[in-house]
Amino acid sequence: MLILTRKLGETIRIGNEIKVTILEARGKQLRIGIDAPADVTIHREEVYQMIREQNILAVETARDNSTGKSLSNIWNRLKNPEEEV
Amino acid sequence: MRISTTRFGDIGIDESRVIWIKGGMLGFEHLGRYVLLIQEEKNPFWWFQSVEDGSVAFVVINSLVVKQDYEPLISDDEARLLEISSPEDVVLFSVVTIRSDPFKVTANLRAPIVVNSKKMLAKQVILVDPNYPVQHPITENKVFSEEKACEKGEIISSALVM
Repeated sequence: MLILTRKLGETIRIGNEIKVTILEARGKQLRIGIDAPADVTIHREEVYQMIREQNILAVETARDNSTGKSLSNIWNRLKNPEEEV
Repeated sequence: MRISTTRFGDIGIDESRVIWIKGGMLGFEHLGRYVLLIQEEKNPFWWFQSVEDGSVAFVVINSLVVKQDYEPLISDDEARLLEISSPEDVVLFSVVTIRSDPFKVTANLRAPIVVNSKKMLAKQVILVDPNYPVQHPITENKVFSEEKACEKGEIISSALVM
């Protein structure tokens, strides 16, 4: 990992089109401004990982052979929650 | 065209109904083309099937079925990327995680698949709003109207598979 030291208001440039600026420091929190092209997605790491893991879990649980049948059951149960199966 | 899938075997799909997902689904970034498959008429759970990898398929549901007042904020950059010119062309899907108990099935409201149904372009957008959960219990919405739940699927679906 490349490690750089920056002061408040200073910027790091990544490639030709991405700029990261340290905007504010408050205790342990830093506010960071990022300029990047529209097709570059920017996410908080923990949120990104959470979505990724949920997608993988969704594909894995759907892979089960019985899922097709389950979808009918699930929908019927949701439409008629009072009915006993 | 024909594609081969683990679940449905070889199926014929209409090439104009192939959805291009920009950047791929998170965790499956290498796969860019999907089709929406309806397994059962009048059932709002659909399959978002990868064209390139037959073993990858998500169960999805129209997000508005899960949450009627769902109004995710799509940025101008994303709208431009998906070439969205009218909000009416947009269809939102949530990825569903199946559980053995139907009442514990969840839908991901934090990262909807935003589809431009006119251009067949899509993106899984991670919303900034933390109030939309990744695991939203779908039973929370008590009003399930069958017609409403299924209406958007027919617009962009490629095939009905049984």
